[in-house]
Amino acid sequence: VTLSPTMASSQLLLFVIVGKNEPLYEAEFHKMGGTSSGTSDSVTRQNYFVLHSALDLVDKASWTTNNMYLKVVDKINHQQVSTFLTAGNIKFMLLHGGKTEDSIKNFFNEVYELYVKLSMNPFYKYDTPITSKFFDTRVRAVARRYLS
Amino acid sequence: MSKSVAAASGHALWAKMPKANAELFALTYGSLVTELIRDYDSIEEINEQLEKMGYSIGVRCVDEFLAKSEQHGMTVPTCQNLKDTAEVVAKTGFRMFLGISCDVTMAPDGNAFSLFMYENPLALFVELPKTNDMPTAAGGATKKWEDLKYSNLYCGILRGSLEQINLRVSCEYIRDVLQGEEVNEIRVTLREVLQDGAGDDYKEE
Repeated sequence: VTLSPTMASSQLLLFVIVGKNEPLYEAEFHKMGGTSSGTSDSVTRQNYFVLHSALDLVDKASWTTNNMYLKVVDKINHQQVSTFLTAGNIKFMLLHGGKTEDSIKNFFNEVYELYVKLSMNPFYKYDTPITSKFFDTRVRAVARRYLS
Repeated sequence: MSKSVAAASGHALWAKMPKANAELFALTYGSLVTELIRDYDSIEEINEQLEKMGYSIGVRCVDEFLAKSEQHGMTVPTCQNLKDTAEVVAKTGFRMFLGISCDVTMAPDGNAFSLFMYENPLALFVELPKTNDMPTAAGGATKKWEDLKYSNLYCGILRGSLEQINLRVSCEYIRDVLQGEEVNEIRVTLREVLQDGAGDDYKEE
């Protein structure tokens, strides 16, 4: 499988929250007014694969700095993976086509606030998949605000 | 007792009460409810348990209310009818213990009233799961979260405290913000005025 860049990948943003054992939340954000009619299946799977393979690099990078925000941990073709580590070692990973550091940092911080509020819900068990529609809507709104 | 007097006493008493951290309070209650969910199978039992706990709390609340008002020199005039009682409970009582203010609506026959709460300190951060989401411990039928009265504690508190002043009531949670409504509504219906100690002032309407 060759990882060839397509028009779609630079406009597609993939955001995944990874817990200890499994992904807890996934969201794809398409830039508004993009020319692609829809990402093909192989490109979507490729994106997940890229994020998954970046996990090792995240672990490596987490030892180098005190910050929660790990900036770009991996570059593949024209895409970059940025990561944010929460205090409980939950990883927020964003696959993007080269956004400014600042907007990504703000995005991660806002999602972190939403995540903390979610985890205060007594019905949400820590490190389990996130199914709240409320959280999903809010994350997408934050993404629209900071990443388009 | 006029509304503004009740509200003013409420504010003054609230200022003098020792305070607890709201988040700690809400999180503690949240873990209590989730433990109950783990222990009991049916939602009705959980609602009942919450009400019973509220009852034990309410029984102690009234004495504290009267003692504190006297201690701080605030006279609470005797209530002439259920309407006055409702005002005192909503404006002074809730304000004093929880720091929130409630609205009261009397029922047309005067035997019941509804308390409307716009904010609920017990349910900070809470979002009820959808019906299909949470598996039960014993692998029985999935629970219907629409039936859970998360803040049923309040009903017990009202029942307990009013019983100490010889009013036997039944309280029910009608509308709950957690279930998607606009406000929290609790309906309190007067069942009986108990004989012991009730003077001529209280008349069953």
